[in-house]
Amino acid sequence: MTEPVLKIFDIQRFSIHDGPGIRTTVFVNGCPLHCPWCSNPESQKGRTELMHFDRKCTRCGRCFRACPNGAISFSVEKGPVIDRSKCQRCGICARACLSDAMRMTGKEVTVDEVMAIVRRDRHYYEKSGGGMTVSGGEPFLQAEGLAALLKSAREEGIRTAIETTGNVAAESFQKAIGLVDTWLFDLKHADAQMLKEVTGGALSLIVENLKQALREKDSQVIVRVPVIPGFNFDEESLNGIFRLAFSSGASQIDLLPYHVLGKSKYAQLGREYTQEGEKGLDKKELIPFALIGQRMGLTITISGKDPASIGG
Amino acid sequence: MAVKFDVNGAQNVEVSKKLPCEKPLAEQLEIMEEYTRVHREASNGPKELREIACLKVLYPRLFRKIEDQDLVAGRLDFLPIGFGCVTSVGGVGHYCVFNKLLAFKDQLEDEKQKARVDQLYQYWLDHDLKTKYCREVLTEDTIGRFIDVNYPLIATARLSGMMLDYPKLLDLGIGGLKNLLKGKLENEPENPFYLAGLECLSLFEDCAEALAEKATFQSADTSETRKAELLQIASDLRKIKTDRPETFPQALQLFWLYAMLAGVINYARLDDCLGPFLAKDIEEGRMDQQDAYRYVKCLWTMIENRRTTVNGRVIVGGKGRKHPKEADVFLHTALKVAKDCRYVEPQFTLRVTKDTSEEIWDEAMDALGAGATYPTLYNDEVNVPAVAYGMRVDEKTAEMYVPFGCTEFVIQGQSTGTPNICMNLLKMMTIFMNDGVDPVDGMRKNREIPCPPLSEYKTFEEFYAAYKRLLDYYMDLSIQAQYYSYEVMNRDVSFLFTSLLTDDCIERGKALLDGGVRYLGGTNEIYGLINASDALWAIKDLVFIRKKYTLDQIEEAMLANFQGYEELRADLWACDKYGNDLDTADGMATDLYEYVAKGVRQRGIDAGMQYFLVVISNNQLNTEWGRKTGASPDGRYMGQYMNPANNPQGGANTSGPTAMLNSLAKIDARYHAGSVQNIKFSPEFFAENREAIKLLFKTYFEQGGSHVMVTVVGRGVLEDAVKHPENYKDLIVRVSGFSAVFVNLEADIQQELMSRVLYD
Repeated sequence: MTEPVLKIFDIQRFSIHDGPGIRTTVFVNGCPLHCPWCSNPESQKGRTELMHFDRKCTRCGRCFRACPNGAISFSVEKGPVIDRSKCQRCGICARACLSDAMRMTGKEVTVDEVMAIVRRDRHYYEKSGGGMTVSGGEPFLQAEGLAALLKSAREEGIRTAIETTGNVAAESFQKAIGLVDTWLFDLKHADAQMLKEVTGGALSLIVENLKQALREKDSQVIVRVPVIPGFNFDEESLNGIFRLAFSSGASQIDLLPYHVLGKSKYAQLGREYTQEGEKGLDKKELIPFALIGQRMGLTITISGKDPASIGG
Repeated sequence: MAVKFDVNGAQNVEVSKKLPCEKPLAEQLEIMEEYTRVHREASNGPKELREIACLKVLYPRLFRKIEDQDLVAGRLDFLPIGFGCVTSVGGVGHYCVFNKLLAFKDQLEDEKQKARVDQLYQYWLDHDLKTKYCREVLTEDTIGRFIDVNYPLIATARLSGMMLDYPKLLDLGIGGLKNLLKGKLENEPENPFYLAGLECLSLFEDCAEALAEKATFQSADTSETRKAELLQIASDLRKIKTDRPETFPQALQLFWLYAMLAGVINYARLDDCLGPFLAKDIEEGRMDQQDAYRYVKCLWTMIENRRTTVNGRVIVGGKGRKHPKEADVFLHTALKVAKDCRYVEPQFTLRVTKDTSEEIWDEAMDALGAGATYPTLYNDEVNVPAVAYGMRVDEKTAEMYVPFGCTEFVIQGQSTGTPNICMNLLKMMTIFMNDGVDPVDGMRKNREIPCPPLSEYKTFEEFYAAYKRLLDYYMDLSIQAQYYSYEVMNRDVSFLFTSLLTDDCIERGKALLDGGVRYLGGTNEIYGLINASDALWAIKDLVFIRKKYTLDQIEEAMLANFQGYEELRADLWACDKYGNDLDTADGMATDLYEYVAKGVRQRGIDAGMQYFLVVISNNQLNTEWGRKTGASPDGRYMGQYMNPANNPQGGANTSGPTAMLNSLAKIDARYHAGSVQNIKFSPEFFAENREAIKLLFKTYFEQGGSHVMVTVVGRGVLEDAVKHPENYKDLIVRVSGFSAVFVNLEADIQQELMSRVLYD
C-alpha cells in the first residue's frame, strides 16, 4: 500500500489563532474558491508555485542564466521578470538563487513526514489545550490524505482542528467526520448570488456541510467570518450571516477583520491583487456588529477575543 | 619568556560611563600616593594586615555625598589606584588601571604633579596584581589578555561574582560578627586573618559613622521632608554600625554598606534576606506599600548608578528560601519597581519552580511586556539538580545557587565561580582547519598539536577527532590559567570583607583563596559553540554524506572569505542549523557541547577544584571575537558576529519559537554553570498573545529548559528588521489562517504591521 500523501505549502509551528491553545498548522494546497482577499494565494491553484522575493534579490542574474525555458528576462534595474506563461515551474532558478529570493512553494509530503514535525510540539499542545490544525487552501480537496493525517494525530492523542471553506462535496466532507475536535468553518456571505460571484462558492453546499459538522457531538464548531470591506462589511450582510449561522444551529462566531498581510504574495507570484482597500480593518470597527450577533444569542468573538476585552 | 602585552589597554567593556570622582585632582593624587606608600611599607608583613592598612587609606574617604533621592547611604568613587575584586569597579586586588592613570595624568597641568603620577606608574608596573598575572600566564600565540580577541583563549585574574552570606550579616550584625572573630582569636591570637578581619569590621563602623555625619551635615540645608529622611539615615547608620538591624531601612543600609566595602557587584537572594524585615515593618505599621516601593526603587537606582553593565544581580524566588512568605513581599515590590524603572541594572533575576504562583508569572509578564527585559527567568526544577550534579554538592546546597554576571552560577556565600577564562571554539576550528595557523593574522596557534592536511581525513570521525585534539590542548591551558589566577591572587590579597561572609573562612581562620572557601569553583566562558557545531554538521553533510565538496575546497573558500565561492557558501548556509528542532544539527550541537563541557569539568575535578564548568553567556564578546575569527564552515563570513549565548546563529532559526526552545532544551544543564537563552518578541505580538507565550515558557521549562531571557523589542529593532531581513528570520507573525514570515513581507506591509496593534 502506498503511503498517503498531501500537497502542502507550509507547516507553521506555534500557531495560536487557528483553534485553541498552541498549535501546529498544516497548510495544504488547492482551493475551490478564489476569494480576492485571500492571504494565501500560493495555495489557490493546488500546485507548486514560483515566488520571487524582490527585496531579497541581489540582482546577480543567476536565475536568468539558469532558466532552461527562457521564462526569465533580466535587467539590473528591474531584476528578474518572470514570464509565467513560459515558466514550467521546474525550480531550477530557485536552486540557482543564492539569496533565497527565488523560491518554489508547495511540495508533496507523506502523512508520516507531517506527523514527524507535528508531534515535536506535543508538550506545548498538552499544556495549552492545543493541537494540530489543517488549514489551506481547502483541506477537503485532499480528503483521503486529510483523513489519514487526522487519524494519525488522533491515534497519538493530538487534538485536531480543520479550517474549511465548506465548499466541498458531501462525500469528501464525510471522510473527516469523527476525526475533528474543532471546526473552523468559514461562512463568508449569506447571499448565494454574491458569494458565487465574488468567491465562486456554492452556498447550499456550504450550509449542508456546516449542518453536518454541527451534528457532530464531541466537536466544537466555530463559524469564521472574514469581514471584508465592499463585500460583507455592512450591517445587512453580517446580519444575514448571523441569521444563517443561527438557523443552521451554530452558536459561536469569530469575526476576522480584513488584513492586507497577504498582499505581498501576489506580487511575489506575479499576480494582480484585485481586492480593494489599502488598509486592514481595526478590531474595534467590528464591535458594533458583534453586538448585533450577541443580541441574537450568538457568542461572538473578534479575532478570537471577547469584544468587551478590546480597548476603545 | 617575557610576553609583550599592553598594560595600558582597556580592561573591560565599559558600556556606560560612571560619574567622575567628586574629589579635586590634587586630593585624588594624594590618596593614591598614600595608598602606594602604605602598600610599600606593609609589603614585608602579612598580606592580610597590608590589605586592611590599604583599605583604611581608601575608606571612608572615597564615599561620595548622599544624593537627594537616596534613602540609604553609600556611594563610592574609584581611583586609578586602589583595591577591589573586579575590573568594573576599580580593579582587582591592589590594582593600578594604567590607562585610567594616564588619563588622570592628562588632566593635570602642573608638571611636578605629572612627575608624581609617573612615579606611581612605575611602582605599580611591578605591583598591579593583574599585570603580574599577565606576565606569568600570557603567551605570544595561545593565551591573550582580557579582552584581546586575536587569541583563541583569553585569561585574567579577578574575583568576579561573589555573593555573600547576607543572612549571617543581618542576623549577627557587625557587633555579632566581631564577637565571633574575638572568640576565634582567643584560640589563635596571632591569626592574621582574624586580626585583619576585626579591623575590617572596625573600619565598617568608621565608615558608618562618617556617613552618619555626612547625612547630618547635609540635613542642615534642605527641605523639612528631606531633613527628616537624612536624619533617619544617620540614625539608622549609627544603629547598624554595631547592632543587628531591626527595620527594613536598617537591614538595607547594613547590607548595602557592607557590599560597597566588599567591592561586590552582585547582590544575592535579597528577597529572602530583606523580605522578613520588610514584611515586619509593614505588618507593624512602620511602613506601607508605598514606602516599600520607594526603598526598593532607591536600591534599584543605587545599583544602576554603579554601572557595572553585566552584573548587578538581584535574585528572587525559587527553592530553598527560608522565609518564602515574607520574601514574596519583597519579590512583588521588586517586580513592580523593575517594570517601572526598566534600568539596564540590576539584572533582576526570578527563579521559578513548578509551584510559582500565577500572580508572580503575571507580574513577570507585565514587566517583560513593558519592555523591562527583566525579570530574567531561571528554572529551578532543572537548575537545582543540575547544579547538584555539576558542582558535586547535595540538593539542599544546590538550592542556594545564584546566577551572577552574564549567567555564571555560584553557591551563595559558599563558593567562588569567577570566569577567568574565555575560549573561542570557532576560532580554534578555523585554526585547526588551516594547518594550525589563524587565517586572520597568519600566526601559528596550535603549538605541538598536529593539524595535518585536510585531505588526509577519510571519515568525518577522523576529522572531528583531530579538531578535538586542539580543543583538548586549549582546555588544558584553561584549567591551568584558571587555577593559577587563584594562586596569584592569594599570594597578594585576602579579599577580607568578602572572606568574612564566605563559608568557611571564619571557621578555618583563612581567607577564601587561602583555603577558606568551602567550594573552590570557577567558570570558563565558551563562545562560538553553535557556529562550530553547525560547521561540523555542514562538513559531515556536504563532505562526507553527500560528497558534494572536499574539505580542501571548503577550506579554500573559507580562506577567500567565500569571495568567488558564493555557491559553496550558499550550500554551507543551507545545511541544517541548530535552533530548528532538527536531530541533525541539534545532535551535533549537543555532542560538541558535551565534549567541551565534560572536558572542562573533568579537568577542574582533576586539578582539585570543587568545580570548573563552562558557561554559555550573553554579552558583546560573541560580536567582538567574531570580528577576529576567520570565515567558518557554517557559512559565516570572516569578521561576522558569532552566535549569541546558547542561541542559534542570527538568521539560522526559521521554524518558530517552539522549535527553537526545543533545540535549546536539548543542552544538558548538568554540565554547565549557566547558559543563556534569548527569545525576542515584538511589543504587539507579546501584548496580544501573553497567555500563549506564558504557556510557551512553562512548557519549555517542563521540557528541560534552564533559562530564558525575554526581550520585547522596541520599534527601532523592527525598523532594522525591515532594512536587514536576513538577521530577523525569527521574528514571527501570526494571523488566523495566514502563513508567512515577517521578513518575507514587503516593506510597506511590514510598516503596516508595525504601526498597528490589530493583527493577531
